This record gives sequence, structure tokens and C-alpha cells, in this order.
Amino acid sequence: MIAYKFLRPDGTGVFTGFSWPLPNGDPGPWVEATVDPCLSGIHACRPKDLPLWAGHILYEAELDGEIVEERTKVIASRARLTRRIEAWDDAMRERYTRMCADRAHELARAASPPREEWEAVIEPSIREGPALLGFVAARIAEEASGPEAYHAERARQTEWLVEQLGLEG
Amino acid sequence: MAPAQAHPQTALTAAEEADLVARLRAGEERAFEALVDRHYGMMLAVARGYVRTRAVAEEVVQEAWLGVLNGIDRFEGRSSLKTWIMRIVVNIAISRGEREARSIPFSSFASEGDEPAVDPDRFRDEDEGFRGHWRAYPGNWASLPDDALLGRETLEVIKTAIEDLPPAQRVVITMRDVAGCSPEEVCGALDVSDGNQRVLLHRARSHVRSALERHLDG
Amino acid sequence: MAESHDHLSCQEVVELVTGYLDGALPAQEAALFEQHLNFCEGCVWYVQQIKTTVETLGEVREEDIPTEAKDRLMSAFRDWRGS
Repeated sequence: MIAYKFLRPDGTGVFTGFSWPLPNGDPGPWVEATVDPCLSGIHACRPKDLPLWAGHILYEAELDGEIVEERTKVIASRARLTRRIEAWDDAMRERYTRMCADRAHELARAASPPREEWEAVIEPSIREGPALLGFVAARIAEEASGPEAYHAERARQTEWLVEQLGLEG
Repeated sequence: MAPAQAHPQTALTAAEEADLVARLRAGEERAFEALVDRHYGMMLAVARGYVRTRAVAEEVVQEAWLGVLNGIDRFEGRSSLKTWIMRIVVNIAISRGEREARSIPFSSFASEGDEPAVDPDRFRDEDEGFRGHWRAYPGNWASLPDDALLGRETLEVIKTAIEDLPPAQRVVITMRDVAGCSPEEVCGALDVSDGNQRVLLHRARSHVRSALERHLDG
Repeated sequence: MAESHDHLSCQEVVELVTGYLDGALPAQEAALFEQHLNFCEGCVWYVQQIKTTVETLGEVREEDIPTEAKDRLMSAFRDWRGS
């Protein structure tokens, strides 16, 4: 199964700190782990999960072995990084963050009544990164128009990323 | 006549309060009795935060009620009646506590237990990966049967846990969660900052939650 | 804060619960807090535990005033009223 993985700039896992063997023209070596959701196993994103975990560096990954699909991620016992998604660089990260922030402003202002308290959060949150902004936009949508609006906003974010990064939707 | 204690969380509206004050000033005995029934428990809990024994706390509360009666004509309604009454209790308790040479807990509340809310052992550390995440999830209490939480045993566990708390934490959690006071009422009555009452509340709630957890999961 | 400023850890979240329930967290911190709950079941359950604890505390009845204390007070009231 093809999936995606965000890593820190130094190639370590965001939550595990695990130092991933990186692809270099060829896919990296296989890494193995026991699957125990949230606690152990190789965590990765399906396209719809990308907005939740948007981080610094993005890789495409091949998953194998035992694969468990969860609500916000997929977990595998075996995986290797196949290639870096070069299109996801700092400039793209900033553009995506800006896109989410602009959407958040739009949604907050269009709500009735307008969501002033959310408005105040948006710009200061930018330095916390794209994942938080994506969340803020989706939450404002949810507060204004219900759970379907949350999912719709997340789908919009995924669509943006898939298109801009040239991923397999 | 058995005291009919109002549920602490049913706060009086401003209009109900004004009515009670007027009736008290007019000398109506039932108004005084209603006030006593409503506030006695919390006044005792607050006084206990400042003095050594329950007997002394009871005296403080008696004195406080006299203070209420003697001061009721001057009460302007700028704070709630509850806050005003609590301030009287606190002032009397402090001077009583000073006379007994007991250190006033609130002056040093910052040092009352610096423990984190949850035992750090319950979270993964650096070498395990997922640092700071739960090793094992806490229990899902929503899936417990209703009577597990409403029984007498559970209330006893809670009461014991409250009694175990250091004085300042005990006073704050009693006022906030048992009696349903607002943060402003607590700050006004105890003369502590919003941040400080919240820190005390946080620690107190963590302790009580732990006790409940041992009781429910154990 | 954790090294990764994108996300809070569970250990950080449990220290923020009281502030969050009081609505006293700075707005950004509240957003980070909610974001964490969005994908961490364990912390959702922890917050629920705290809420349940508070509800149960509300069920604790404060002490009723002992009879002798009540009698003393009522007689003090009559003295006050009489004067």
C-alpha cells in the first residue's frame, strides 16, 4: 500500500524520534515494527490524513505486512520510504498554511454571528504550523455548520495538497 | 424542623438574594435560617483551611454569622452575598489563625505540592519513542454503568480524597466544585489571583480524579 | 512545550485541562489542545474523567449544621433582632 509520512527536518519521526533510513534515488531499506495502535508500529498518512499531520518533510512510503487502518492514520508492521516529495518544501508549506489561514478567516467572518474569538487566533497560530491551521479552519467550519462541514473542509485541504504535490489521490 | 439544605449548585439569582437580604434586615427568622442552611457547610470548610481544629472552625463560623448580622445593613450588594459572607469568614479565620500562630496556608500555596497532575510514569519517555504519550490509555468512564458513579461508596471515596488534600487545595475545590462558586467568587472571598486559584483547583482535581480512578478501576 | 511545536503531547495536555475547562487558556493553546483531542482517544477519555470527577464533586452535600450550633445561632439571631 502506498502512503505518506511527514518527518522532521533531520529525518527523524515526529513522535518517535526514530531515525528513518532515507531514500537516495532508490527506496530506503525496509523497517519493521510490531503493530499496537498509537503506541507502536509504523504510522503513516493516507491522502485524507495529510492535513492532520502536515509537517516539515514529506516522503512517499510503501507499507507491507500487517496493516491497520485507523480513523486518522494507518499503521503497518513493515514499511520503507520510496521517495521524497520534493514539491513539499518550505515555500509550499507556507502557501498551504496561508491557504488554511485565509479559509479560516473567510469561515469565521461568514459565520453568523461572526466568530471573533477564532479570528484572533488565526494569525498568531501561523507559527505553530500547517497542521494547526488546517485544524482551526476545519473547526470553525464545524462550529458554524456542523460535522459535515468539518469533513468537507478537510476534504478541500486534502484536494489542495494532492493536486499541488502531484500525489496519487 | 429538619434543615432543608438547598443543593449547593442552585445559586440564588440577584433578585432572590436581594429579597433574602431585605427579609433578613426586617428581622425575619426564616430568612436567617435559610441563609445558615445554605452556607454553613462551605463556611466551615473555608474556616478549616485556616485554623487547626474543627472545634475552632465552628467558633469562627459562629463569629462570622454575628459579623453577617451586624453588617447586613451596610451590605451594598456590590459583590454577591455569598462572596461577602465568605470574606467575613476568611477575615475572622485569618485573625484566629494568627492568634494560634498557625502559618496561613494561602501565603505559601505555591509550595503546596508541586506534583504533576498525572504520575510521569504513565507517559512514555525519550527512549521509548512517542515521548509524552500515554503508555496505556486511562479508562473510558463513559462505558461504566450509571450506578458505579452515583453510589454512596463513590461519594465516600470523594469525601476522603477531599479531606486528604492540603488546606488551600481543599478550600478551593470545595468552593469551586462542591459549592459551585465561580472563579471570581473564590478570588473575591479568598483574596487570591485567578491564576492561583486555578493552580490549586488543578492539583486538587487531579488528586480526587486519581482516587476515583483507583476506586473504579482497581 | 514539546520539541515539535506542531503538536502537544498527552503529558502536556493533562496539565492544561483545568485551564481549558475554565476557558482560561490563551486561544492558541486552546486550539492546540482541541487539535490533540481530535486524534488522541486517551486524552479524550482523560478529559471525560476530569469532567466526571467535577460532576461527582457536585453531588457531595456539604455538612448540615449540628443542632446545638444551630440553636446557638438562632438564639443569637433573636438577641440581635430584639436589640
